[in-house]
Formats: sequence, structure tokens, C-alpha cells
Amino acid sequence: MDSLRIPILKIGDVLIASIQVALHDASAVQFKDDLLQKIHDTKARGVIVDLTALDVVDSFIGRLIADIAAMAGLMGTRVVLTGLQPAVAITLVELGLELPRVLTALNLEKGLAMMQSLTEESGDDAS
Amino acid sequence: MTQAKAAVIRSDLDIVIARTLARDTAKALGFGAIDQARIATAVSELARNIFLYAGTGSITVREVERQSRKGIEIVCEDQGPGIPDIDLVMQDGYSTSRGMGMGLPGAKRLMDEFDIRSHEGEGTTIVCRKWRT
Ligand SMILES: Nc1ncnc2c1ncn2[C@@H]1O[C@H](COP(=O)(O)OP(=O)(O)O)[C@@H](O)[C@H]1O
Ligand SMILES: [Mg+2]
Repeated sequence: MDSLRIPILKIGDVLIASIQVALHDASAVQFKDDLLQKIHDTKARGVIVDLTALDVVDSFIGRLIADIAAMAGLMGTRVVLTGLQPAVAITLVELGLELPRVLTALNLEKGLAMMQSLTEESGDDAS
Repeated sequence: MTQAKAAVIRSDLDIVIARTLARDTAKALGFGAIDQARIATAVSELARNIFLYAGTGSITVREVERQSRKGIEIVCEDQGPGIPDIDLVMQDGYSTSRGMGMGLPGAKRLMDEFDIRSHEGEGTTIVCRKWRT
């Protein structure tokens, strides 16, 4: 059942994944595992997950996103979510999930700019 | 009135099918983008509960009318183990599966009406509605 794998691109030391299909639970879990493995393998400093095409984020996907951010954080990698539709953001809050520790940006371009400034301010002392 | 449509739930793929059915119906009934997302998200939660806790069941979506108000009605039925304490499962954060425990209380917040009936050993039926504004 790996027909729905979400491609993860590497540009510089940032990973970019754009979710383009309706995620069922198994493919969402697969994505989390793939992404964490890739963070580990590439030592990426940042990850951008673009959710523009997602029209539903329920508590299962919401928790998965929070888990990705927490686990990536433990590996020293920042996660920025981009493209969250307004209706999805409103619904998430009403559902009771606020993703307080997850950074968001309006679109991929702004996400990349945010990532740049985040990794610049924390990056130099690490190397 | 449009005809009722049903989705059988027996795998995680059916959760996507059920919430897509609910969204498409809501859209056809004239609900706006935010309400469509609310309805689809509630159905996603309820469909996942059927899949996780009962194994199989069904979700039926139909148009309803009351005092010339139009709305959408979602009926979720399963013959699973049932819920012994409904007040408990309606609390934010209560889960028997290490889930977030937001599915039932969250779905209730997202819909306008939410009625849950359950008997241990017989199954669970949830009827919820949302009215067009
Ligand atoms: N259809 C159902 N049949 C039996 N038990 C259910 C059903 N739906 C929900 N439950 C019970 O209610 C609890 C709370 O459900 P929910 O609010 O969706 O949170 P979660 O699914 O994250 O546990 C579940 O953990 C489960 O014990
Ligand atoms: Mg649930």
C-alpha cells in the first residue's frame, strides 16, 4: 500500500513536501515516517510542508502535523507549514486543535523566506 | 429534495470517501466554504471512529428542511461495541485509543445539532445536522 507516497524534495539544506492528494490515514503515517527518516538522513535544517491542496485537516492529521513538528524539533530541524486554507485553519481551532508550536506562513515563497531567517539566526553558532 | 447517499465504512480509504460525499453534498446544498470544511471535518472524525472502534458501519448524508430552513443531516451507524458512558466520551481529550480525544466533542462543536445514542454491545448511532445560514 505505498501507492500514495508524497515526494520530499531537498533544496539546499531545506526539505520541501507538498501534499497534493487527499490523505488517508495510512498514507499520512507513511509521510510522517518518510519525512522524519529524510530529516535524519539529510540533516536538513528546515522542513516546509505545503498544505495548499488539503481541504480537510481533522484531529488525526492535526496530531500528525504536531508530532512531525515536535520530532523534527528534537532533531534540531524547524518545521514551517504553508498554504493552510482559511476554512481549514478556522475548522482546526473550532475542533479544538490549535497547533501552538507549529510555525505557519501564507505560501511556499513566504515559507522559504521565513525558513531562511530562522536558519540564519540559529545556524552559525552550530557549525 | 435530493436523495440520501450513503458511504459504507470499513477501511481508512472509506473515511476519505465519506467526508468527500459530505462536502460535495454540502456544496450542492449551498453551504459556504467554511461550513463545507466544518461538515467534512466532522464526518472525517465520525467515520474514523466507526473504523477504529466498530470496524464497520455506515454514514448517510441527506438534505433536511425544518420551518423552511434547509440543512444537511448526517447519520452515522454502527453495530460495534457501543459506548458505556456518553458523558465521558464527550469530554475534550478523553480517548481509549491514545487518540487526541477531540473527535466527538469537536464534531459536536462543528455541527449545529448533535445527538448520540449508544448501547453497550449493540452499537452507536449519531445524528447531526447543520443549518444553512
Ligand atoms: N462508534 C464508536 N463506537 C464505540 N466507541 C466509540 C465510538 N466512537 C467513539 N468511541 C469512544 O469514544 C472515545 C472518544 O472518541 P473521540 O472523541 O473521537 O476521540 P479519539 O477517537 O481520539 O479517542 C473513543 O476513544 C472511543 O472509546
Ligand atoms: Mg475519534
